[in-house]
Amino acid sequence: MKDFKEITTRLKIAKKNIKKIEDKDEGSNAASLGKALKISTELVASVVVGSIIGFLLDNWFGTKPLLIISFFFMGVAAGILNVFRSAKRMN
Amino acid sequence: MDLNPMHQFEVYKIGPEINLNGINISFTNASLFMTISSILILALLFLGTKKKLLIPSKAQLITEMTYTFVAKMINDTAGSSAKDFFPFIFTLFMFVLFCNMVGMIPYSFTVTSHIIVTFVLASIVFIGVTIIGFVKHGIKYLELFVPKGVPFVLLPLIIIIEVISYLSRPVSLSVRLFANMMAGHTMMKVFGGFVISLGLLGGWLPLGFSVALTGLEILVAFLQAYVFAILTCIYLNDALNLHH
Repeated sequence: MKDFKEITTRLKIAKKNIKKIEDKDEGSNAASLGKALKISTELVASVVVGSIIGFLLDNWFGTKPLLIISFFFMGVAAGILNVFRSAKRMN
Repeated sequence: MDLNPMHQFEVYKIGPEINLNGINISFTNASLFMTISSILILALLFLGTKKKLLIPSKAQLITEMTYTFVAKMINDTAGSSAKDFFPFIFTLFMFVLFCNMVGMIPYSFTVTSHIIVTFVLASIVFIGVTIIGFVKHGIKYLELFVPKGVPFVLLPLIIIIEVISYLSRPVSLSVRLFANMMAGHTMMKVFGGFVISLGLLGGWLPLGFSVALTGLEILVAFLQAYVFAILTCIYLNDALNLHH
């Protein structure tokens, strides 16, 4: 019985301490660094995917330089959109 | 002494060559380290859940912490409706985390520094999320590509851009993990090579850098597993709740 009481008080103190720490730093540093690392690849990936789609469609329809150029720019637009969205999600 | 920084990424056969209908499925060092990671995860979870104590042992504490960490992450990013997918996301997170961490041990092999491994993982997520979206919403899932409030004239262009952005998900997911792991390990090997070539006189500076980089790499190893899992949750949220 004595053991149980001791554990309860110790738990209470520990919980109080945890709450103090949680109040101090809102949103851990690691999480925000992860979000920062995330954005950079998002831009590049969309451009690459757009260009590949353009390249494949060009080969299919035989309109060699036209589609790859337009899809490259659409890939850039999609990349900016992606970055914009993940930046918005952070707030 | 092998100073080539790319040598650590070489895949080689262990044991005999196995062919299945012309496809080479031999056991390689990559398969070996994937198996090691899986066994370590199973061992940790088995030890952690064997004795359920009121005052947890260390293994139980780590297991409970990872469980609450992943459960909280799913709840925060994808909502309570994604609770059904907890086993999948937990497995994914633990696998990537352990592959990254096992790769940090000297003389081991980093499985996640190969794009084919990360791309397969990302493809599983991508295809799975797409199927879940279509099962849950039917043909209405395509509304994901049509944002609200767009003028009719711009619609074809916007749809193409949205489709490209949707298709870029597996690429960005896989390239991020692969590039971070490969760049980090190459950098560590390069600095390690500097220590040897500069010798006793000038080798201390790169040695210090190596120590600092090791700490950074452990952070990156954890962070990339976290990012991989959290992005899976975000994509799952898009599929389940159908909005950006």
